[in-house]
Amino acid sequence: MSEQDSARLDQLRATMEVALSRLEAARPFAKHRFQQAVLDVAYRMLTLPDGPDALYALAPRLDAAGLFAGSDWDAPATLQPRIVKHTLQSEHAATVMLEVASLLRMLAVARGDAEHAGIQADHARHFLTQVLALNLDRFFGQTDEAARSRDSVREASLDRLFRYLAAHIGFQDVLGLLVAEIWRILGQRPVQVGLVKDMIAQIAVSALERGNELGEARLGADRLVSALFAPTAGCREDPGLETYRARLGAMDDTALRHEAQGFARAMHDTGLVSDYHADFLRWAVEQGNGALVPDALGLGSTGLECWRQYGALVEGLIAEAVTPWTAQSVYGLAMLLERGILHHAPIAPALQRQMALKLCPAACAHLQAAFGGQVAPETFLLAGVLQVLGQPLGVGQGANPSCQSARALSMWALNAPDYLLHLVAQAATYDTLQMHFEGHPIDSADLPAGLVSGAPLDADAVSVILVPHLDRIYAEMGRRCADRGDDPHRWINPEFHGWWVGRECLVIVDVPSGGLADVHGFVRRFYRTYHPEYNGQEPVIHPQPAGIAVTDASARFVGWHAISILRVAEDQTGVMRVYFYNPNNDSGQDWGAGLVVSTQGRGERHGEASLPFPDFAARLYLFHYDPVLRTQSRKEPPPQAVAGVVDAIRSSWAAGRPDVDEEVLRAAAAPASP
Amino acid sequence: MTEKNPDKGYIAILGWSLNAIDAIDRFDRRYVVVAPPWAEEYARANGIPFIPWDFDRLNERSHEIAQTLKEEGCDVAIPLYEETVEWAGAINSVLLDNPRLLAQSMLFRDKSLMKRRAQLSGIRVGIFEEADSRADVVRFLKRVNQTLLKLDGDPNDPIHFKAFDKAGCLGHRIIRTVDDVESISDDEFPALLESHLDGWEFAVEAWIKDRKIQFLNISEYVTLGYSVFVPATPELESWRGKITREIEKLIEAFDIDFGFIHPEYFVTSDGTMYFGEVAYRPPGFNALELIERAYGFNGYQGIVLAFDPKTTQEEMDAFFPTPVKDAKGHAGCFGAYPRRRVVSEMQIPEETQDDPYFEFHELAQPLEQKVTKRSAFGTHWGLVYFFGEDPYRMRDLLKVQEDLDFYV
Repeated sequence: MSEQDSARLDQLRATMEVALSRLEAARPFAKHRFQQAVLDVAYRMLTLPDGPDALYALAPRLDAAGLFAGSDWDAPATLQPRIVKHTLQSEHAATVMLEVASLLRMLAVARGDAEHAGIQADHARHFLTQVLALNLDRFFGQTDEAARSRDSVREASLDRLFRYLAAHIGFQDVLGLLVAEIWRILGQRPVQVGLVKDMIAQIAVSALERGNELGEARLGADRLVSALFAPTAGCREDPGLETYRARLGAMDDTALRHEAQGFARAMHDTGLVSDYHADFLRWAVEQGNGALVPDALGLGSTGLECWRQYGALVEGLIAEAVTPWTAQSVYGLAMLLERGILHHAPIAPALQRQMALKLCPAACAHLQAAFGGQVAPETFLLAGVLQVLGQPLGVGQGANPSCQSARALSMWALNAPDYLLHLVAQAATYDTLQMHFEGHPIDSADLPAGLVSGAPLDADAVSVILVPHLDRIYAEMGRRCADRGDDPHRWINPEFHGWWVGRECLVIVDVPSGGLADVHGFVRRFYRTYHPEYNGQEPVIHPQPAGIAVTDASARFVGWHAISILRVAEDQTGVMRVYFYNPNNDSGQDWGAGLVVSTQGRGERHGEASLPFPDFAARLYLFHYDPVLRTQSRKEPPPQAVAGVVDAIRSSWAAGRPDVDEEVLRAAAAPASP
Repeated sequence: MTEKNPDKGYIAILGWSLNAIDAIDRFDRRYVVVAPPWAEEYARANGIPFIPWDFDRLNERSHEIAQTLKEEGCDVAIPLYEETVEWAGAINSVLLDNPRLLAQSMLFRDKSLMKRRAQLSGIRVGIFEEADSRADVVRFLKRVNQTLLKLDGDPNDPIHFKAFDKAGCLGHRIIRTVDDVESISDDEFPALLESHLDGWEFAVEAWIKDRKIQFLNISEYVTLGYSVFVPATPELESWRGKITREIEKLIEAFDIDFGFIHPEYFVTSDGTMYFGEVAYRPPGFNALELIERAYGFNGYQGIVLAFDPKTTQEEMDAFFPTPVKDAKGHAGCFGAYPRRRVVSEMQIPEETQDDPYFEFHELAQPLEQKVTKRSAFGTHWGLVYFFGEDPYRMRDLLKVQEDLDFYV
C-alpha cells in the first residue's frame, strides 16, 4: 500500500472512531440515525488497498454497536447467500457497505474472532463458502454489462474484498468451484486467456502449498496446471525453456512425436497453449523438421489437407508469429487450418501480405501499450490475426463499451476473413479505415473519438488495431441517421457489417417515446423468420446482427447489447434453441426469470451461447430479415407461444414501458423512412 | 438505561425528536416525551416514556396537559420545536407557578412582536415591517430602495421576507424584484419584512440558568442556508465580549430566567450589532451536533440542565467546558442542494471525498429526478460534515462546497 493510501486509511480510522462511538452510544431506537455516517466512512475505507483488513478488525465492534439494527442483517442466521450478489449490485453505496460489513462479520465468526448469537462458526464458514462460490466472477475480474455500467472503483474494491475473504476462509471448497468455473470459461474458447492463465498460475501455487486441502478438485486443477506448465513427458517438471530445448536435441523421432501429440492433446483439451508448445514448434521449424507440425497442432483431416497444400506458408506463419509470448497463436493456427479457409483463394496471399506488413507508428504504439515489447508489434499482430481467424467466436470486447465493433470483427472473421485482413492491413499501415455509408465515404482519421477513448488495452491484437477506427465510423454512421426518428441500427447494421445482413429491420421499441411498438407482430415475425418450424425449415445462412435487452439476475433492464444470431437448431433433448455469439467476454450470464444463458452441454459449439427459442425472443429487441427471401411455406406461430413471449418481455426488461398506438407509429414512420 | 437520579428534576419534552430523546435517555434525569399520537406505538415499542398530545389544536383542553404533567410530577417542560414553544410557556407557567412564562413564550412565537420588544429594550434592529399582502411587500421593497437613493433601473437592494411563525430558514425568502413577490403564496402571510444588511451573519446558542449565561457558542455562517461551523474564526470570536453583552440585553428584554436561546445577529464592518431574531428552542441545521463534535458535550443534555429547576451551579460548571479554549477543533456542516434541474444520483465530489477535513455525509439518494425550483431557503437534501484544526481552512472549504455538485 502506498504511503498516501496508508495515511488516508489512518485518517479514516480516526473518523470512524468518531462515527462509531456515536453509534455505540446511541439508544437502540436511535441507531439508524448514526448508521449512515458509519457506513459512509466504512465504504471509503473499503476502497483502499488495506481496507478489507481494517474493516475486518472493526467488524465485531460494528456489529455490537448496532450497525445492522433495524435491518435484515441483524439476524445473520436467516441471511441467504444467493442474495449477496444482488445486494452488492445496489446503486446505494450504503447498502453495498452493509452487505460487506455483514460478510466481514461472518468471516470474524467463522475464524473465531467474534461471536454472534444465533450463528456458529461452521454456519458462518459454510455461508461464506457459498457466497464466494456464487461470486466467482469476482476472482476472474471479468466484467459483464451490468458491472461495466457501475462504478469501477466499487467493482475493484469488491473484487479485492472477495480475494480477501477467499484468502481467509480456507481454500478447499472455493478452489473446487473455481476450477469448475475456469473449465466453464475455457469451454467457450476465448481468444483472451491472460486472466485465466493467471488464475491457473495461482491455483498451481496454492496447490503446491496446500495440495492436501484440494480434495476432489485436485484432478481438474491438475489438468489445467499441467496444460500450461507441463503438458508432456519432456517438460513434466517445468524445467524452463532452455533446458527443454537442450532435451529436444537429444530425443529420437518417436520421442519427438510423443511430445508433439502430448502438446496437441493438452491444447485441444483446454484451449490453452503452453510456452513449451510454442517453443517446440519454433524448434521443429528451425530444425527443418516440419513433419512434426501436423502432430503438434493436432490436425484433423481438413487441417491436414490444408497443411499439405500450404505447408510452406504454415511454417512461415510459425516462424513469424509463434513465440512463448504469443503461445496462444498455436491454437489459433490449428483452428484456422481446421476451418479450411486457406482454400478460399484470397486468404493465403492476404496472410502473406500480413506477414510482410510494416506497421505505422500509431499501430506499434497501441500494440506495445497493450502487450509490451518482448516481441515486435508485427509479431503480436500476426499472432492476433491467427487467433481471431481461428477462433472467430472467441473474440471478446474486454472491459470496453465496444460490443458493436467486437461483434463485427467476429462476424468478419467467421464470414469474410479476407475482408477482415483487408481492414487490418489498412488500419495497421495507414492508421485509418475507409468505409461507405449509403454511398458516401467515411474516413475514420477524419472523425472524433467514439465511445472508446484510445485503443483498448485488454483485447486481442486485431481489436487493438481496429476497434478505435470501427468505433468512430460506427458513431459517425449513427450521427448521419440520428434525425430519422427510429433506431439507427436499422440503417447502420447492413452498411457496417456486409451484404448478408437482412435488409429489413424490426425494432420493438419506439425510439422517440421508449414505448413498445407492436409486440405481438414483432414476436410473430421473429418466429416466421428464424424458427425452422415456421420459416419452412430454412437455416440461418449468415450470422445476423441482433439487439438484446440485457437484464440482470433479477430480470431488471441493464442496457442494450449487440450480438449475432448464428443458428437455430434443436439440442440433444429436442429443445429448439437459438445459438448466438455474444461479444461479451463470458457469455454464461444469468438474465433473470430463469433465463440462464448456456455455453456448453446443450449442443453449443465452442464460443456459442444459447437459449431456448422463446427465452431468446423474450430478450430480443431488434433483428434483421430479408424481404426478398419470402418462401411459401412460412406459417404463423401458435398464439399461445407468442403470448408467452410477450408476457416474458413485459414482465422483464420492458416492465413499465407503455404500448405505442400503431396508427401513431405508422403516421410518424411514413415521412421518416429514407 | 442510565441510572436516573430521583433528586434531580423530572423533565417533559414537547415534540418528537429521536436525536433529543436519544441524548436525554442517556442522561441522568427522569423524562417523559409529550408528542403526537402517531409516535405512541413506536415509543411504547422502544420503552420511551410517552404521553400523547396533539399540539396542532389549542383549545379549551389546553390546560389539561399541564395538569397531567403536574400530576405526573414533572418539574419543567422543554420545547423541541417552534410549534411547541408556546405550549412549553403555558405548561411551565403552571408547573413553575409563573404566569409570566406564557406571555414570554408568545413573544418568541411572533417575529414582529419579538422585534418590537427588542427594539423597545434598546437593542438595535434593522428596518422592519409587518406584511399582510403582496402589496405590502412591494411597497416595502420600493421604500427601502428609495431610502438608499436608488434610481429607477438600478438593481434593488434585496429585502428579507420571513413567515411569522415558521422556524429558521423555512419561509425565509430574499426579495429583489417585484417578480419575486409574485411567487409568494397566500399561506405565507402574515410575514415580517426586513431590510438587508451587508455584514456578517452569525448565530448564538446560549444556555441560561438563573439569568446567567452558562455557555455561549458562536456559530459562524459561511453562507446563510448552506453552511455553518463552530467555534467561529478568531475574527468573529473577537466580538465575544460584545456579543455576550448583547445576549445579556436579550435576557433582560425577554425576561429569561432559564432555558436555551438561539438568536441570530448581523455585525456590520464597523462593529455595529443588529439583532435578527431569537428562538427559545434547539436550533435546526444540527448546530448541537457540531457543538458536540467540537466540545464533546451533548447540547440536549445541556438544555435539560438549563431547564431543570433542581440543577445546581456546580453541576453546570462541571458540565460546560470553556468556550473556544476547550474545543478539540472546528466542526462544520454543509447543506447540499442539487444544482442541476435534473439529477439521477447522489455522488460526493472527489475533492470533497479526498479532503482530510471531510468526515461523513447524511445525503439522501434522490427520489425524484426533477428538482423542484427553490423559492425559499431551507430544503437541503442532507448534510455533509467536516472537522479540522484550522477555522480559516474550514470556512474556505465550506465555501468551495457551494460550487460542487453533490447530485448529478
